Amino acid sequence: MALYVYAVTSQTHPARLDGMTGVGDPPEELSTVSTANLTAIVSAAPDGLRARRRDVLAHQEVLQHLMADGTVLPLRFGATASDEPQVRGALEDRADFYHQRLEALAGCTEYLLKGQYEEEALLRQILQESAEARQLNEESRRTGDTNVKMRLGELVAREVQAREKAAAADAVEALRPFAREVHVNEARGEDFVSASFLVEDDRSDEFTAAQQELAEDWGEDVRLRLHGPLPPYTFVQETAPGDGTG
Amino acid sequence: MTVVPQSGGGRPATGGASTGTLYDVVELILDRGLVIDVFVRVSLVGIEILKIDARVVVASVDTYLRFAEACNRLDLESGRKAPTRLLDLPGELTEDGSHGKSKGALTGAVEAVTDTIRQYTQDRDEEPAAKPRAARRTRSRED
Repeated sequence: MALYVYAVTSQTHPARLDGMTGVGDPPEELSTVSTANLTAIVSAAPDGLRARRRDVLAHQEVLQHLMADGTVLPLRFGATASDEPQVRGALEDRADFYHQRLEALAGCTEYLLKGQYEEEALLRQILQESAEARQLNEESRRTGDTNVKMRLGELVAREVQAREKAAAADAVEALRPFAREVHVNEARGEDFVSASFLVEDDRSDEFTAAQQELAEDWGEDVRLRLHGPLPPYTFVQETAPGDGTG
Repeated sequence: MTVVPQSGGGRPATGGASTGTLYDVVELILDRGLVIDVFVRVSLVGIEILKIDARVVVASVDTYLRFAEACNRLDLESGRKAPTRLLDLPGELTEDGSHGKSKGALTGAVEAVTDTIRQYTQDRDEEPAAKPRAARRTRSRED
C-alpha cells in the first residue's frame, strides 16, 4: 500500500497520534514506520492527491502537532512511498544525515515574517520627502497631462521599490540577532519582505519581542505578519534552499 | 497587535480565518521541507501558483499611471499646498470608484496577476491551496 510521509523524527519522539488525522477525504489515519533509531510518520496515500487546501492544511497540522513533542524533520508536501519497506529503507540509507539534522535543529523552530506597506502611507511619504515628486504631482493635477503623469508614476514606482527594499533589509537586520539562521525568501504579492528565521526556543520570547518593537516603530504604515513557531521547513536541508534572494 | 500563533497552523498573526496563515506559509509547505529522493512526489498544480505569484514588477506604463493617479488623489496634509479645491476630491473619488479606497495602485498592479492565477487554478483545481485574494482582504479588518 502506498504511504504518504509527513515527517522523520527520532525514535525517542513520542509520536502521539491519537486524535490526529492526515491528508485525504475522509482523512487517513496516521501511523508510524520505525527503524532502530528513526521514526517516519505516515498514512495511507489517498488516490489522486493534489495540493488542495484541505490536504496542505492537514500536512501542516500533523507537523505542528508533532513538533510540540520534540524535534521533527518536516517533509515537503506530497511525498509518497510505495510501501513500508521502502520507508524503512529510506530511513536506514540516510540515517546519519537525519540524525545530524535532528541534532542541529533540536530546540529550534522556524518563524516566517512577511510585511506590506499601506500604500497611501508610502505614497504620502514619498511625496513629502521628494520635492520633484511633489512638483510633478501638482503639475499633473493641474494639467492632467499624460506625460507628466508618466514621469510622476515612474519616479514614484522607483521610490516605492527603493523604500521597500530598504525596509525589507531593515526588518531582516532587526531580527537577525535573535535567530540562529536567516533565509530571505522571495516576497510575493503585495509583500515587500518575506524571511524565515530559525529561532532557538529559549530565545523565541526575545525574537517575538523584537518583532513587536519593529511593528511599533513602523506603526500603521507597515503591516507585519509573523507566523510561528513553525516546523523548520526552510532549514531542514543541510544548506539553505537556493530559490531565495539571500 | 501581533499575536503569534502557538500551534495548529490555523491561527493567523492578525486575526481572521485560517486561510491567512495557510496562504502565508503554503510556500514553505510546498516548496521547502525535506525531500527524500526515493519517494515519489505527487503532481502538484499548487506549486505553479508560487511561481506565477512572484513580486510584481512595477515598471510598466499601467503601473506608472496608477501610481500617478493615486498620488493625485492623495490629500497631503503637509502645510505646503493644502487642498483648497475641496469639491474636486469627492468628484475624483467617485469617478474612479472602481478602485475603491482599499484598492490603489499597488493592489491594482498585483490584481491582474492574481486574476490570472485564479483563472489558472479554477481551470485546473477546484480547490487550490493558495488563494491570493484571501490574504489581500486584510485591510478592512483594521477599521
